[in-house]
Amino acid sequence: MIEVHNLTKYYGEYPAVRGVSFAVPKGRVVGFLGPNGAGKSTTLRILAGYLTASSGRATVDGRDVFWDPIAARRRIGYMPENCPLYPDMRVDEYLWFRGGLKGLGRSARKHRLGYVTDRCKLADARRQLIGTLSKGYRQRVGLADALLADPPVLILDEPTAGLDPAQIRETRKLLRELGEEHTMLLSTHILSEVEMTCDSVIVIHQGQVVEDGSLAAVRKRHQNQSLEDIFVRLTGQEGI
Amino acid sequence: MRATASLFRKEFAGYFAGPVGYVALFAFLVLTGLQFNLALNLLTERGPRGVEYPMQVFLGGADSPDLARTAGVLFWGLFPAVTGIITMRLLAEERGTGTLEVLLTAPIRDWQVVLAKFAACYGFYLLLWLPTLVYLPVLLDLHADWRPAFTPLSITLLAGAGLFILAVLLTIIGANGWFALFLGLIGAAAAGVGGYLHHTRDPEYLVTLSAGIDPYPVLTSYLGVVGAGAMFLAVGLFASSLVRSQLVAWMVALLLGLGFVLPALLRYWFEAGSAGDRVVYLLGVPEHFRRDFTRGVIDTRPLVLYASVTLFCLYLTVRSLDARRLR
Repeated sequence: MIEVHNLTKYYGEYPAVRGVSFAVPKGRVVGFLGPNGAGKSTTLRILAGYLTASSGRATVDGRDVFWDPIAARRRIGYMPENCPLYPDMRVDEYLWFRGGLKGLGRSARKHRLGYVTDRCKLADARRQLIGTLSKGYRQRVGLADALLADPPVLILDEPTAGLDPAQIRETRKLLRELGEEHTMLLSTHILSEVEMTCDSVIVIHQGQVVEDGSLAAVRKRHQNQSLEDIFVRLTGQEGI
Repeated sequence: MRATASLFRKEFAGYFAGPVGYVALFAFLVLTGLQFNLALNLLTERGPRGVEYPMQVFLGGADSPDLARTAGVLFWGLFPAVTGIITMRLLAEERGTGTLEVLLTAPIRDWQVVLAKFAACYGFYLLLWLPTLVYLPVLLDLHADWRPAFTPLSITLLAGAGLFILAVLLTIIGANGWFALFLGLIGAAAAGVGGYLHHTRDPEYLVTLSAGIDPYPVLTSYLGVVGAGAMFLAVGLFASSLVRSQLVAWMVALLLGLGFVLPALLRYWFEAGSAGDRVVYLLGVPEHFRRDFTRGVIDTRPLVLYASVTLFCLYLTVRSLDARRLR
């Protein structure tokens, strides 16, 4: 569903992503791991069409994100890091606007809006201004937006960052449910989350893929260590 | 198309969601109100006046007396500030708060984003000028003569207008949208057809409008307003795409906008017909109004300037969004 070949991105002289290649098959939920500044967000932004790669190729459902950007973006539900939203719009206004932006007609929009508010448990916040929402609700609005056009692929950048434990648990449950219907690529720092929601992991360090495989295969390769130990060893921070 | 329309609607409604739109409306109404007040005062003074005089004072182009000239400088100095207020938030705010990322990853092309935002601010700009139409009956010395010429055609016109007003009221109180639209369309059609036939077939009219002065300078003045506004707004939109801070966007827009206003102040330096004078005419928007639009003259040079600067700035805005991707 997602295929990435030799993706490279330079910010000026600095290579944030260097020759990253991986593939996410249909229906798989993949955790995208790596320390801060490893190039996770940059890779996801290139996939979502917010940045253009310096070289390399990326396709989503067979559509090249550079040469056929509109078709590729139609197949992606993207939730950026920190989930930026318009603070002076109401939740249902925002989702209605986003539905139009994604090309949904009136009746389809109404139907999908009902579905996503139900799915993301936003029913009691529909008429609230987004600026007055708590972090957890904002995250749900972002997720609802990503689900709006019923895209086959979901790309979520740190969907549980900044949430309290109860909210994390709730979001995780939702992500697990969504993983049954969508191909999903989600970046995170929380390793236990990967173990609970993902089928396989990709670990990226200093802009390069250092581990890629199903959870069981990765564990086996590293003599059944815990994911945390594997992560620390791969990213060269063993002394800590 | 649907994406562009959706973004346009959101941006246009955005002017009324925050204080910025109301501030711009208020400031502009005060500004034009002062100009109108000045024009009224000067028109009641004795002395021969040209047909262009009312609109020239109103749009800040009159040379005498000194008060009118000062008001003109003030009006044109503040004009790019007002258009800057309208455009400053359009892209700078999205960059500042990071929502640009959500917008640009939606299936919408960059030029559609720019087009929708430009259309929204242009719509709001035209809305700014709408209240000034109230001044026109006075500036034009307009008279309306009513006669009870009730024929089937004029009654159709009145009934259509009534239906249309009813439809507008129904929309305001929030009745069924489709029903109101249906009613409004029928009303508008009846009023249009009835009005046209009433005008062409009936010997006597319900109402006859007559202006005390030639009305065409007013029309050309508004043509100039519509054209020049597009240029200032496109410049402001481009400025907004360059930075993250709305305040900086406003200042850059004001600076670039003054580039099309200040050359007009240099006109006293050059003899009429000299090369310098031609450059001043080319770039000074107040000069376009003083020499041409308020006199009922349509010169293509300013119109070509407005259209080309508008298109060029919109193109630059699209490229500026694109350049951010390649960073």
